[in-house]
Amino acid sequence: MTSAQQTTRTAVPRMAVPAYAWALALLALFALYLVAQDNGAVLASAGDFAHEFFHDARHSLGMPCH
Amino acid sequence: MAAALDSPRQGTAPRFAPLLGRFALAGVAAGAASGAWALLVTERAIAPALALEESRAGGHEHGEELVGRGTQLVGGFLGTVVAAVVFSVVVAAVYAGVRHRLPGRTDVGRVAVLTAVGFGVFALLPALKMPANPPAVGDPDTVGTRTAIYVAVLGAGVVTALLVSALVGTLRARGLHPSAVATAAVLLAVALVAATVLLVPDNPDTIAADVPAAVVWDFRLASLGQLAVMWTTLGLTAGYLVDRLARRS
Repeated sequence: MTSAQQTTRTAVPRMAVPAYAWALALLALFALYLVAQDNGAVLASAGDFAHEFFHDARHSLGMPCH
Repeated sequence: MAAALDSPRQGTAPRFAPLLGRFALAGVAAGAASGAWALLVTERAIAPALALEESRAGGHEHGEELVGRGTQLVGGFLGTVVAAVVFSVVVAAVYAGVRHRLPGRTDVGRVAVLTAVGFGVFALLPALKMPANPPAVGDPDTVGTRTAIYVAVLGAGVVTALLVSALVGTLRARGLHPSAVATAAVLLAVALVAATVLLVPDNPDTIAADVPAAVVWDFRLASLGQLAVMWTTLGLTAGYLVDRLARRS
């Protein structure tokens, strides 16, 4: 059973992951940070609007908010 | 055991760019589904909390509201969509990196496993340690502390997932019976989750006496349901799309 599973596992070839995949993931997380947490630190005055605009999303996704 | 039944079309791995496209599409679907949940369910749980904030303000005019309620509903929907797409892009990169190591004989199964881990790390564990709170509960002075706790819990969840997967890999390589591997994995996961809940500091906020327990409870259930809809839709849709992609390549 174990050897059969290992055969199955080795039958799945490793995917090539380009560097931009991780860069894109980090960029996406940064965008989420802007939406969710930035209280004027990066976006300055536009942050106030973003903060209020995404207020309900922040709460409903379980992120800390006042 | 069932290796003979395995799909013979696993010879070549899919390329990343089309895989990312499938995940992003699934992310949009997950955002739309959980955004709909936000509007239909979560907003209904937020409304009494906002009414409470309003009555605390003494009934007098709130003055210069920067964003009206209608706009905030749109923002709640769009913010949910953005979060779902962000998660889908991150999951796509991680999936590409670990696809060959994930359990499951098809991409449907493997994507389901990874998105279940994502739900555990980004929804269930935070809900266990620091459950979501509706408006009218949070203390503005502690938002920095609460954010640090939230990030620490997410970090602990990621570390837990990495350690459990490393343990599974090591034990499998030693040829342990799968049931023993599964038992060890569950024990380690439970121990690490318990350590996270016990060792990370608690939410410093106390819930004010004028906030009914039902308001908080309904909101927490709605919030967790919203995240469950998001991760389930992401997992099922991406699994279906990636599986079709892999069978073509």
